[in-house]
Amino acid sequence: MSSLMLLAKLEVGQHFYWEIAGLKVHGQVFMTSWFVIGLLVLFSVLATRKVERIPSGLQNFMEYALEYIRDLAKGQIGEKEYRPWVPFVGTLFLFIFVSNWSGALVPWKLIHIPGSELAAPTNDINTTVALALLTSLAYFYAGFSRRGLGYFARYIEPTPILLPINIMEDFTKPLSLSFRLFGNILADELVVAVLVLLVPLFVPLPVMVLGLFTSAIQALIFATLAAVYIGEAMEGHGEEEHG
Amino acid sequence: MSGTLFLAVEEAGGLFDINATLPLMAVQFLVLAAVLNALFYKPLGQAIDERDGYVRSNLTGAKEQLVQAEKLAKQYEQDLAASRKQAQQIIAEAQAEAEQVASQELAAAQQEVQAQKEQVQSEIETQKESAFQTLEGQVEALTRQMLDKLLSFA
Repeated sequence: MSSLMLLAKLEVGQHFYWEIAGLKVHGQVFMTSWFVIGLLVLFSVLATRKVERIPSGLQNFMEYALEYIRDLAKGQIGEKEYRPWVPFVGTLFLFIFVSNWSGALVPWKLIHIPGSELAAPTNDINTTVALALLTSLAYFYAGFSRRGLGYFARYIEPTPILLPINIMEDFTKPLSLSFRLFGNILADELVVAVLVLLVPLFVPLPVMVLGLFTSAIQALIFATLAAVYIGEAMEGHGEEEHG
Repeated sequence: MSGTLFLAVEEAGGLFDINATLPLMAVQFLVLAAVLNALFYKPLGQAIDERDGYVRSNLTGAKEQLVQAEKLAKQYEQDLAASRKQAQQIIAEAQAEAEQVASQELAAAQQEVQAQKEQVQSEIETQKESAFQTLEGQVEALTRQMLDKLLSFA
């Protein structure tokens, strides 16, 4: 019973602090993110070790992933402009996707670390805010590099009355991006944890499967919205709302 | 049990504990994007584009060859029809020539036959004449003999 209790214990908002040059960072987030990064790099290296015209095995799989990402970027940014943004949008998708699934599939909780527990990197608000702010920077960069100072014109489009709302959007976009991802992943892990706490066998399984689904959807939503914002900044019209 | 669940939120740090993890994570993400760009997006993207180009060029090449083959087939058919026509023409010409030759020869033969006939007739005529002459001579001689005999009896 006590070992079961240990397995099922819930810890929210507790962090395993590392101190780097006097700055406090969340060690558990970096540990799992390194795992995710290592996995991505490993797959990339293995897939491109011997590139062939007729792909097979891992190369085929990774090409499928790349074509998926390209289609995503192409659909939102446009045929002409999407190519330079494939690495950014694609890495967003892959990093979030692998992070979410690692949180759902890898039994991190079996590895004990002091003061906290391992979970998906996207489970931490720092990660999601970092990604969301990078997305903001990316679409600002896209807008300015494409249209120069004319980018500001979009704040008074379609009418100057919307100026405050348009400015506010620049704050709501990263906010909604980061909190959507953070909330979904944290909530999913919490629901699974609570269910495991209450009924340790079989009952959490459907919720876990649902968690896999929402994790994938969240990665897709984040990457798609990032691409939408970038495309929008380069096009320079319309205020698409996001859910 | 439930104590751990709710207590944890209020402890130091908390859910919304934003610190140096954020910028470091951002830098880490950018490095990851750069690394994946070099290791994954670029080589595989290149492979995909190259394959696209290869397939497209092969396709256009095949289409061109098809058009050429169709053109050749058409030309051969035209050639075939032309040579068939020519053959028929040659046959017709040969038939006409043969007929002409045949009729010419027939005419010549008929002429020859006619000439021979005429010659034979004229020969017959002369022979008849000479026969009549000799007959007349003999008739005269016989008459003289008969006269002599009759006179001698008298």
